[in-house]
Amino acid sequence: MSAHGFSAARRPRRPLFQKYFIVLFAAVVVPLLANGASEAWFGYHDQKVVLGQRLRAEAGSAAGKIQGFLDHITDQLQWTVQLPWGNGSDERHRFDVLRLMRQVPAVVEIMLVDGNGIERLHVSRVDPDDVNNGIDRTNDPAVVGARSDRIWYGPVTLYAGSEPHMTVAVAGARANYGITIAVVNLKLIWDLIASIHVGLSGDAFVLDRAGQLVAHPDISLVLRGENDPAAARLKELQQATVAGGGEAIEGRDAERRVVIAAMAPISGPDWMAFVEEPASEAFAPLRAALWRTAMLLLAGAVFAATLAYLLARRMIGPIRLLGQGAAAIGAGHFDHKIDIATGDELESLAQRFNEMAGELALSQERSERIARLKRFLAPQVAELVEGSGQEILLDSHRAEVVAIFCDLRGFTSFSHAARPEVMMGLVQEYYEALGTIITRYEATLTCFMGDGLMLLLNAPVPCPNPALRGVQMGLEMQAAVQPLMSRWQARGHAIGFGMGLAKGPAIVGLIGYEGRSDYTAIGNVVNLASRICGVAEDGQILIDAAVAAEIGDELPLMPLGSRMLRGLTEAVSVFSVRPTDSNFAKLPSANALAVQRNARQS
Amino acid sequence: MPLSRRTVVAAALASLPARAFAQIAKVYRVGLVTIGGPDTTVLSPAMAKEFAQLGYIEGKNIEFERRAAQGKSDRLPGIIDDLVAKHVDVIVTASYPAAAAAKERAGTTPVVVTFSGDPVATGLAASLAHPGGNITGVSEIAAELSAKRLAVLKEAVPSVHAVAVLWNADDLGMTLRYQAAEVEAERVGMLIVPLGVRAPDDFDTAFSEMTKKPPDAILMVTDVLTTLNRKRVIDFAAEHHLPAIYEYANLVHDGGLLSYGPDQRSIFERAAGLANRILKGAKPADLPLERPSRFELAINLKTAKMLGLTFPESIVVRADDVIE
Repeated sequence: MSAHGFSAARRPRRPLFQKYFIVLFAAVVVPLLANGASEAWFGYHDQKVVLGQRLRAEAGSAAGKIQGFLDHITDQLQWTVQLPWGNGSDERHRFDVLRLMRQVPAVVEIMLVDGNGIERLHVSRVDPDDVNNGIDRTNDPAVVGARSDRIWYGPVTLYAGSEPHMTVAVAGARANYGITIAVVNLKLIWDLIASIHVGLSGDAFVLDRAGQLVAHPDISLVLRGENDPAAARLKELQQATVAGGGEAIEGRDAERRVVIAAMAPISGPDWMAFVEEPASEAFAPLRAALWRTAMLLLAGAVFAATLAYLLARRMIGPIRLLGQGAAAIGAGHFDHKIDIATGDELESLAQRFNEMAGELALSQERSERIARLKRFLAPQVAELVEGSGQEILLDSHRAEVVAIFCDLRGFTSFSHAARPEVMMGLVQEYYEALGTIITRYEATLTCFMGDGLMLLLNAPVPCPNPALRGVQMGLEMQAAVQPLMSRWQARGHAIGFGMGLAKGPAIVGLIGYEGRSDYTAIGNVVNLASRICGVAEDGQILIDAAVAAEIGDELPLMPLGSRMLRGLTEAVSVFSVRPTDSNFAKLPSANALAVQRNARQS
Repeated sequence: MPLSRRTVVAAALASLPARAFAQIAKVYRVGLVTIGGPDTTVLSPAMAKEFAQLGYIEGKNIEFERRAAQGKSDRLPGIIDDLVAKHVDVIVTASYPAAAAAKERAGTTPVVVTFSGDPVATGLAASLAHPGGNITGVSEIAAELSAKRLAVLKEAVPSVHAVAVLWNADDLGMTLRYQAAEVEAERVGMLIVPLGVRAPDDFDTAFSEMTKKPPDAILMVTDVLTTLNRKRVIDFAAEHHLPAIYEYANLVHDGGLLSYGPDQRSIFERAAGLANRILKGAKPADLPLERPSRFELAINLKTAKMLGLTFPESIVVRADDVIE
């Protein structure tokens, strides 16, 4: 498995990257959104309040202008009620009227009524003047109204169903000065109303109390008279405003535009001046602000996403590296170094991983070494040697060793006769019987030679009384092998088991080449032990003089005298070990040996 | 039709300059028709000036098709047909015959009428507020003003008793004005000398009658016929030392003694205003006929001096236009 396979093979159900990304993104975007939304919400309300105030102020200003238009007319009319009637003042009254009509184009007709309520003069722009027609206007509402209020405004009437007109009457300071009644063409407010602009495309209009349109920048709308659907919308706007207590309201104007409208009363004639501004325009600053906010939010979100992505990746990168590292180490690449320099816990974690890889490498090396040692040392000895760092023992050196040889008698002829599996079965049983004993006695196995073995004692690990120990091990081996031999002999195979031991100096050490090495001893003692073994008969354990000397009285020995052995120039004394039950009882067991050694170790 | 993105982008790009160009390049075409002569009423520079006030620049975003019937009303249907064929956006007429021809032949082309009497009375429109059809314009306060003029004349020259009224007897609207004057004269005890004319040659007949039996003053009812012959009337009045009252100030500027009537400039202004609304997409049916709301009294002191007259103060004080 490759290191990259880590992410692909075990893709997490809910990857950390996703979680980090979501959390980091939310951490930035949520407050941003909350802020934007609250700003928009409060901005909208503030804007609405400000807008309402502004429009009401504009309406007040428009009402003031309309009032000014009317005041100008009534002020002019006042000039016509400054003189008492009688004493030949008729001509002067007429001059006043002519001057006034020259001055105020909106006045289309004027009637002068004297103190007694009699019409004295009627001047019109269309009809010939009518002087002293004697019409009694005492009960004319204009006269009654002017008498009680000084200034009286009549209702708005439509001339020929089209042009709005209004009658205005003013009374003089004294009853004798009479009353002037003027008919005003309200169409002439048009110039005034058309000059009022609210914002970019907002405008003003005037309705009377009953909802009759008095003035509008679209003069045609005014002239269309009653029952016009467009004018009716303005009336609805008026009703909504009145119902709303005079606050600015939203509605549709004559052109069906959605507008914000505000009203201000014109007290004299009891009219209402309205200003309207298209809602789209009125809320344009708010919309601009909302757009700005939205753009900022978007930019913020993009920024947050980028930041979250980078941060998440920065956090996830080391974790991925750790994962890949773990996979690599798991695959046995102990030299894999996880390179993280984030300066945080992840870096120390990576260091721990690297350390762990090093330790794993060491541990594997050690177990390999132990395995190698186990080829020739008993497992416990191998571990001891490895663990205690006494590998120096393995170095080549001269040592007093006990070399032990053993092999089967008649094995060669047996191997010729027997079938391979039968033969290998025998060898297998034989070695299994010997193996446990060898391990127990911690003898060093130097080599297998078909049916034979070579063992060493006192090398590489020294042990007390190696000769005695070797003989005891030999006795146990004979005891273990002899039953096997008897069984095979019973089957008609003439085989036996003999052993030879010798003690003397030898050069011991590892021989072999890379990866394949054995521990061995080289010296005369090895030769001697081999030769002694060669002469040993089935069941016999033969030893040389050095071994016999060390055993002394420990075991019953039987000198066999000096013998000339093949390959040796001089005759050597050979002894035979005769196993007896009593002898075995004297022997320290292999277990006791281990205990002894352990005590020495600690 | 499925559109590829490239097509849409290309179209969007192409539409930008095209739209900008269209806004600049949109040239409105306005037909101006009068039964009178060139440079009179709606063909006059005063009318073009009102369009200019509204931001139209002749030759750039407006083109005028000016048509003068030179008093020949039988030419009007052809003129209207021609304008319709030329796809003008609106026709502005002066005089009742021009308005009547337009009403009959203009079809869906909007018409703005001026100087054509009371359109409701003559049947051009259903009502002032809702004219109906494709006609709107400026109404005239036609008949009543004759009485007012007679009163003004009497006030200006109190000695006047017999007044010769010159009017186009072929024109019903003009005859109504004459009749109004006659009613008023009877009411105030004056004498009317009716001098109806039907053709330019009739003026000679009228003049010879006035020469034979001189009136105290002349009241000229303005229509195309009298306007085309105004110079002769003004000259005759001067020659015979006759005070004369006219309907519009321009005749006083031409040497007439005095006039009383609607302010022509404001009539042009409203006509141009209505034409503008139509050009901007309004339907004539939604545009009520407008009555003139400004009247002016014009007096010519030069002519008065020539006649050996002095205007009383009650006239001078209300004169809107005084030619010194």
